[in-house]
Amino acid sequence: MRRIWAALTTAVLTATALTGCGLGSDDGKSSDSVAGAAATGEVKGKVSLQTWALKPKFTDYVQGVIDGFKKKYPGVEVEWLDQPGDGYSDKVLSQAAAGTLPDVVNLPPDFALPLAKQNLLLDVAKADPKLADEYVPGGVDAYRFAGQDGVYGYPWYLNTDVNYWSSELLGRYGLDPKKLPASLDELIAQARTMKEKSGGQTYLMSRKPGLGDLYNAGVKIMSDDGKSFTFNTPEAAALLDKYRDAFKEGLLPKDVLTNTYAGNSKLFNAGTAAWTTGGGNFITSIATDNPSLAPKIVSSPAMGTPPLYVQGVSIPKSTRNPAAAVALARWVTSPENQAALAHLTSVFPSTKASANDPFFSRSDGTNAGDAKVIAFTSLGKAKMIQPVQVNDAMSTIVNQQIALAISGDASSKQALDSAVEQCNKLLKG
Amino acid sequence: MTHRRWFTPWLLAGPAVVWLAVFNLWPAVNTVILSFTNAKPLGGGRFTGLENFQRILDDEQLADALLNSIVFMLVCLPLLTFLPLLLALLVQRRLPGITFFRTAFYTPVVASAVVVALIWGWALDDRGLVNGLLRQSGLADSPVPFLTDRWLLLFSAIALTAWKGLGYYMVIYLSALANVPRELHEAAAVDGASPVRRFWHVTLPGVRPTMMLISVLISVSALRVFSELYVLSNGQGGPGGRDMSVVMLIQMYSRGFTGHLGYASALSLMLFVITLGPMLLLLRLNRKAA
Repeated sequence: MRRIWAALTTAVLTATALTGCGLGSDDGKSSDSVAGAAATGEVKGKVSLQTWALKPKFTDYVQGVIDGFKKKYPGVEVEWLDQPGDGYSDKVLSQAAAGTLPDVVNLPPDFALPLAKQNLLLDVAKADPKLADEYVPGGVDAYRFAGQDGVYGYPWYLNTDVNYWSSELLGRYGLDPKKLPASLDELIAQARTMKEKSGGQTYLMSRKPGLGDLYNAGVKIMSDDGKSFTFNTPEAAALLDKYRDAFKEGLLPKDVLTNTYAGNSKLFNAGTAAWTTGGGNFITSIATDNPSLAPKIVSSPAMGTPPLYVQGVSIPKSTRNPAAAVALARWVTSPENQAALAHLTSVFPSTKASANDPFFSRSDGTNAGDAKVIAFTSLGKAKMIQPVQVNDAMSTIVNQQIALAISGDASSKQALDSAVEQCNKLLKG
Repeated sequence: MTHRRWFTPWLLAGPAVVWLAVFNLWPAVNTVILSFTNAKPLGGGRFTGLENFQRILDDEQLADALLNSIVFMLVCLPLLTFLPLLLALLVQRRLPGITFFRTAFYTPVVASAVVVALIWGWALDDRGLVNGLLRQSGLADSPVPFLTDRWLLLFSAIALTAWKGLGYYMVIYLSALANVPRELHEAAAVDGASPVRRFWHVTLPGVRPTMMLISVLISVSALRVFSELYVLSNGQGGPGGRDMSVVMLIQMYSRGFTGHLGYASALSLMLFVITLGPMLLLLRLNRKAA
């Protein structure tokens, strides 16, 4: 009997071992068949919608959108799942691996790419031929991936970065809030003035550069086919050299080497730094934490090409209700629903029909209103600067190597070469 | 006459066996399997032979991480083996108010490692409490880079680990000290042995098995250090990532949609083998001494 048990156990373990490594895979359905079902099917039955950290602040808004959808399509039932902000990628990953992704899922492009590569997402351009006519090109392009045919999500709301300056600190340390720096050289010059006049207690610059800064220095981050990183150029090294010299001069706080990006806005909020970057709603959000600072903030357009941040909704190919899923995704991202969301907070719609809404192009005279207009105007030239292929590990490696270059522990060229080599290894996997 | 069925023991042991097989044995076996593949969280992987292990040999960051983990272990081992013993000797005396000190020394153990590391991070920051005190007292002109210098960051994490672990090992020593026969101390005292000689010849041999156990526990946990370094370095592993531990490296490679589970598993396997080294050495030393 023992032998039988041992043999059975071995067989089970071996079988599981042979089939067990790795999770999730293509479910076998083609985009054509699901898109066909979406186009011809009736919008009824159950459909689920997953959002990312919209409760409780936007509960009423989302519920209103769902109620409107149910009114438009009687007989349809919507199950709304809102996932917490932290650990969302892990949640989506586990859902994808278990084949339990909801019918409509909020996925930013960098989350959608790996799922699209595994053939888990519906090519919404096939299900919805009018897509490119109704949404802004930047939003749609964010869901087109090198090496993958199709569009893997409806663009939802957009945002970009705006420069925010503390007029109080600028004025106190001999700088003119009306002559804000518009280039790195001007920024370094003004940071020097601030350091001298504040005795090194206050900083103008408080973040180390990232891939966005390299892009704005004319550096090509990635090859066109998305198969290799290319940011180890002399221009990139020259930019890091400038930051290294500024760091050595004490123009940046020492802990910029280990701080993540949030450190920058934290220092700004604490009154230790006079410049930060943030989305169009930064002043509104800072008014809660630091009400005395908020009225003293002035904004200006981001230096160089502003980054484009896109949120969108995707539809898994495994959806059991393609017609309702496509209808719901279109409804959530429709001009009227996007406009309603944008009126609640400073995000911007991705639909072409919303472009002429004077709400976005006219300030109400407050500094928060001015920032919103700057952000909206910047969106016209904003681009997705960071390639969607950059994952967490690559971001960590790039951050580490840039910190190494700025601290002077490695030459800029060595650090960039090392970052590119390591990221390319990860990319090839 | 009792009637024994062959499956009775299996029925009794079954739940525990299933639990162990699913949550201990299978993950361990799967790690070994994955280490020979290029598996990703989505889409599975294919057999790549020894490729991941060859990559380990070329990984410069791993060399730093290994050095950090080994330095961490070599410093933590004596600190956390002897300091808690001395602390236990102090607090084992029956003095008024001694319970307060026992509780105070044990409190850091109860606190979450992440919370404690966050508090230490704020205290050791350039604008934190420690640098403020150093500057006010004139001991430093500029902030000491506790969190931005490779070695200072590592030793800050070691100090934090020692501070947090003292109470835990102190409690283990307290129970071991209670088992050392009082008569031996009395006999030694009658024979004229000084307190130092009594410590050396009575206390130490009495707690030696506990000391070995503690050494093994410390060496294993020090080689697997993660939270302290991760939180103090904001998840970035210090400047240039030179303060990463091996576990931080495993976490970095395995997380996200495109995590490299194969390589992360090979690193885990390597760490497992390395962890066995000091464990076996300490057990051998213990056997020899016994």
